[in-house]
Amino acid sequence: MPQLIKVRPTKIELIKLRRRLSLASRIQKMLKDRLSILIMEFLQIAKETVEAKKEIIDQFSKAYKALSITAGYHGYIALEKELVATERDIEIATGSRNIAGARVPSFELREDEKKGEGYSLVDTSSWLDQTAQLAEKCLEAIVVLAELQSTLEILGKEINRTKRIVNALEYLVIPGLETTIRFLYMKFEERDREEKARLKRVKVLIEQK
Amino acid sequence: MVNELPYQRMLQESLKGELRVLNAHLPSEQKPLANLLVEESPNVVCNDGSAHLFKRKELEYLASITSADEQKTLLLPMLIEVNPGQDEMAIICRGEVEEKVVSKILDMPVTTKQRRITVYKPQLAIIRKVLKTTTQYLFSPKILQ
Repeated sequence: MPQLIKVRPTKIELIKLRRRLSLASRIQKMLKDRLSILIMEFLQIAKETVEAKKEIIDQFSKAYKALSITAGYHGYIALEKELVATERDIEIATGSRNIAGARVPSFELREDEKKGEGYSLVDTSSWLDQTAQLAEKCLEAIVVLAELQSTLEILGKEINRTKRIVNALEYLVIPGLETTIRFLYMKFEERDREEKARLKRVKVLIEQK
Repeated sequence: MVNELPYQRMLQESLKGELRVLNAHLPSEQKPLANLLVEESPNVVCNDGSAHLFKRKELEYLASITSADEQKTLLLPMLIEVNPGQDEMAIICRGEVEEKVVSKILDMPVTTKQRRITVYKPQLAIIRKVLKTTTQYLFSPKILQ
């Protein structure tokens, strides 16, 4: 049973309530549209996250396999010596994008055009090249997954928030306003009837005189 | 009797706030693809003052399916108009470039009516999958009427 809003039974209050009802209905309609878009995007991102997770596991298993072969070929000490110089900073372009009002992060791994491998190409085998390439792919996969996962989290929270507002409007605010408006109409009708009865009574009293 | 409960007033204000933020993320101006391709960090400024970053991969994809002249006329981000209570949405376009891009992504011919390409939700999912940062939702002013 929707709760009656405590208002003075006047025409001004009725106008105010009707305005509030129209605003609430508009917002409910708009939020429902927004919610459907957010859910569609959430499902899409969820699907992509699953794919990205599979990809990351696949890439890492390939990279570790290649690394173990390389370590076997070169030996750990020689490999470590070669890899000392390969450490470098990675550049990630960060920003944000907007999905139907929800701001989500956007990451993109910047490829350094001047980069070298860092190790001597003469002293090492093609196994090391392959390992380095696979490791770079792992990095890319991590950046993609980081973006997708944080987007998924933000969208989930936004869906929850929007759903609560839509439900509050649908089951609490709008029925409450409608009930109060109905109550005010009934009150006005009752007043009219009272007024008519009073007039009739006055008329009878005048006639009796 | 209480005229207006503080709770009611607060609720009303928060609902008005929802309306205010609805289209706040729209770009204050759209940029041509050709300009964005030469920018170091391609982005546009939104109405709320935030920056919307474009992914270079998406820009490069768009550049690969359009000619040099078309790149100058293709304005980004492309706007997807959401109509109230309808399953179909519309991509607002100014020329034939948007039509070409959308038909290429959907792999089917599309037609423009009143400067709008009508797309349905399953098609929209495909477009958004490819063009995540180069498209943006626009809530139709009809919603607010």
